[in-house]
Amino acid sequence: MSDQPKPANAENVVVEKELSFGPVHPALIEPYRIRLFVNDEIVEDCEINMNMVYRGVEKLLEGLPVERALLITEKVCGICSNVHAWNSVRVIEEGLKIDVPERANYIRTLTHEVQRITSHLIFFGHAFEVVGHETFAMRSFLLRETFMDILAYVGGNRVMPSVPIIGGIRPRADLTEGLKRAILERVDEFEKKYTEYVNRIVADPLVMSRLTGVGLLSKADAIKYHATGPTGRASGWDFDLRRDMKEYKSFDYNIIVLQDCDNKARVVQRALEIVESLKIIRQAVKNLPEGPVVNRSWIAGRMDFYTALLESYRGELMHSYALDGQGMIRSYKIRTPTPANLAAMEKACVGDHVTDAILTIASCDPCLACCTRAEVVESGRGRVMSDTEIIRKYGWRR
Amino acid sequence: MTLKATARRNAIHAMLFYSGGCNGCDIEAVNALLSPRYDVEQYKVLWTWNPREADVLVVSGIIAWQMLEPLKKFYAIIPEPKAVVAIGSCPINGNVYKNMVGDIGVNEEIFAPLESIIPVDVKVPGCPPRPEDIIAGVVKALPKILEAP
Repeated sequence: MSDQPKPANAENVVVEKELSFGPVHPALIEPYRIRLFVNDEIVEDCEINMNMVYRGVEKLLEGLPVERALLITEKVCGICSNVHAWNSVRVIEEGLKIDVPERANYIRTLTHEVQRITSHLIFFGHAFEVVGHETFAMRSFLLRETFMDILAYVGGNRVMPSVPIIGGIRPRADLTEGLKRAILERVDEFEKKYTEYVNRIVADPLVMSRLTGVGLLSKADAIKYHATGPTGRASGWDFDLRRDMKEYKSFDYNIIVLQDCDNKARVVQRALEIVESLKIIRQAVKNLPEGPVVNRSWIAGRMDFYTALLESYRGELMHSYALDGQGMIRSYKIRTPTPANLAAMEKACVGDHVTDAILTIASCDPCLACCTRAEVVESGRGRVMSDTEIIRKYGWRR
Repeated sequence: MTLKATARRNAIHAMLFYSGGCNGCDIEAVNALLSPRYDVEQYKVLWTWNPREADVLVVSGIIAWQMLEPLKKFYAIIPEPKAVVAIGSCPINGNVYKNMVGDIGVNEEIFAPLESIIPVDVKVPGCPPRPEDIIAGVVKALPKILEAP
């Protein structure tokens, strides 16, 4: 802004064309940096820089025994901890053909869907806080406590339940009869309150007018920029990895696809997805098969590079690694859904008023903590390059 | 109670600084400070994003390379008297990111513990700590602010 040379007739020319904020800002819960290039309050271009919280997780995991890796992979993200833990064990289970008991699969799915609801309710909290309607944000946090309690009962921790281990689940996370009853009761109670909550949102004219028709991301753009998960499904792209996952074969649920492509569609899509998750939770508790929960008869040995894909709360998640002869991890790779959605967010902001930009970005549900995987420092200058610069210089598939 | 302490007691502001963890402590802190179930406002502690009006700096997460300078800057801006609360294992000892490394031996990307950068008054361990613990930590930091000259 300030280093641009001032033209001679400085009074008539608007010099300030870039609005940049972050990494610490009231509108951003997580540290990232947004640059909005504006022309008379209309966003012309947007750039999101996410390289603020690089921890080097992939490099830390190299050379660790595969059993210990679970402790780190779960802490990749605090919102979707179960997803990372589950997908990292699915790699070795599918690569070394380890059988998983059916009861363990049910409890893993149950934890997954419980955490999906908590994640979507955080999304409501964040989105409505950005809109400015604090009551809805507070109520969403209050509703979320039901499922945080269930996670604490099942796994022992509100945020990091550590349910999956290689070959099944931790025996302490097994569901007892009393716990099953408690989950069903709480889910019923939640559904009643949640229906009222969603009816209030949809009936609120102010919130709806703020959301409708803003942040358009067409289906062609969603496919072009590889939007995954709810962001893609709200733009009419019918893609959900749960269809292909063998763990979900025995459940009856619908995949919500909306055609509206705007911020309202992205909110309503997640609201409807919570209802489908409740269906899966009920089925998992009622049809829970008897039997063991963990299969300990496996030996970590040499495994070729194997990739597991999972539908996480924000889209497609990839974990892949290889094991050497001693069962140590080699070349761990994690690809989280948010980098795929970042380009879609940048596209969706364009053409709208500048006050709607943060709302559009929040409605795509960014989770920046788990997506920061690489940072490139220009040698000699001590400056971290932005994502756009890296892509321009090295290409996307570096 | 002195006049200053009485005046300060009614305007305690806590600021959350997210220096690069996993989001877990961050959301639990937001839960503790903001949500209706664990309400830190009952102790007359309000949440702010403005470092110039903050009294308590709540730091979560390992200190990543890019957040080191902003952290020092924010700490310098906060007016005296100020207190720092470190929540979670990450700012206290670096958690798994510092203590469980594979072949590389030392993780040079992170700057935990927080004490090596700015003085810390209260530490709340846990991965992540419960919201009740975070509230207890923030409340424990209050006497330092109230009794300061």
